[in-house]
Amino acid sequence: MGPMVWISALICIFGLLVKFILIIKEVYEKERYLLSYITVRHSLRSIIAWLIPFYPRSTRMRPVYYGISYLFHVLLFLLPVFLMSHIVLINESFNLSWPAMNDTAADILTIGVIFALVFFVLRRRFIPDVRFLTSFMDYILILMVLLPFVTGFLAYHQVILYKWIVIAHVLSGEVLLIVIPFSRFSHMITAPLTRAYTGSEFGNIRHARDW
Amino acid sequence: MKQWKILMMFILALATSGIAFSQGEQERLNTLAFEMPRRPGAVFSHDDHTQTTEISDDCAICHHVYANKTLVPDESSEDNACSDCHSLQPDRKNSISLVNAFHKRCKECHYDLGKGPVLCGECHIKK
Repeated sequence: MGPMVWISALICIFGLLVKFILIIKEVYEKERYLLSYITVRHSLRSIIAWLIPFYPRSTRMRPVYYGISYLFHVLLFLLPVFLMSHIVLINESFNLSWPAMNDTAADILTIGVIFALVFFVLRRRFIPDVRFLTSFMDYILILMVLLPFVTGFLAYHQVILYKWIVIAHVLSGEVLLIVIPFSRFSHMITAPLTRAYTGSEFGNIRHARDW
Repeated sequence: MKQWKILMMFILALATSGIAFSQGEQERLNTLAFEMPRRPGAVFSHDDHTQTTEISDDCAICHHVYANKTLVPDESSEDNACSDCHSLQPDRKNSISLVNAFHKRCKECHYDLGKGPVLCGECHIKK
């Protein structure tokens, strides 16, 4: 393994950690009132409720978008982690191993991820209120997620320019990792914080549910 | 009639050129030791490797012998299968699984010498 995989993984992990600490610090400095009502119980209650598919009311109001989005997020993590080719590389470096998913299943699910991303682009283009909230950067970010999956798919099938496709696959994955802490991809840590805040305000003050 | 013959020969040459230019079946490592191989055996030519100057006649680079986890110098194991020592899962006797034995032996050498393939699909070429 070259150094880039470590550099990008560390930037991703430490970047998210620093971001998390800065947010908490800012809460302590500027929004101290929040501490008077935020609780672990109400936070977890909201986070868990929003993790259960189609449990929150607003997700049931847009079942197609929400269903695609939910599956997309699950696959975004499961596919790379349980892909045999990736496990083989981890095993070579660390002697660690875990069960791999079937290659054909991974292949089909990859096409699913690609379609989901195309769906997100079309949604941002054609639904007026989403279009209004969309900037050029959002398309760039979608492209950044798209690239590792498309190049991975092409590499697996050894269609064309195998060597260059694999290099593009590795590089685009590393770029994606590096960009996470500095972009809206960091919603992987900020989304639970939003739920903790909203869940506590609704649960502890209004005595209502926020799902 | 002569023109007809030339035309026929030309067509025949075109039709058979595919056979002449295709490499035929490439030499591959066999995957018999694997229970459920998930990739085609790696493309490997033994002759190409023995004729490489860096390896020259040191068969024991690949056909090595280890005893108590230390390399036994001046001994080689051409008569054994790799899978005689490297089992599918690493065990106490040998920490290097069969897959890793192949992957690491090939790739590390290729990296060190700056020649030979190192990417998955460069060896596991789809049939």
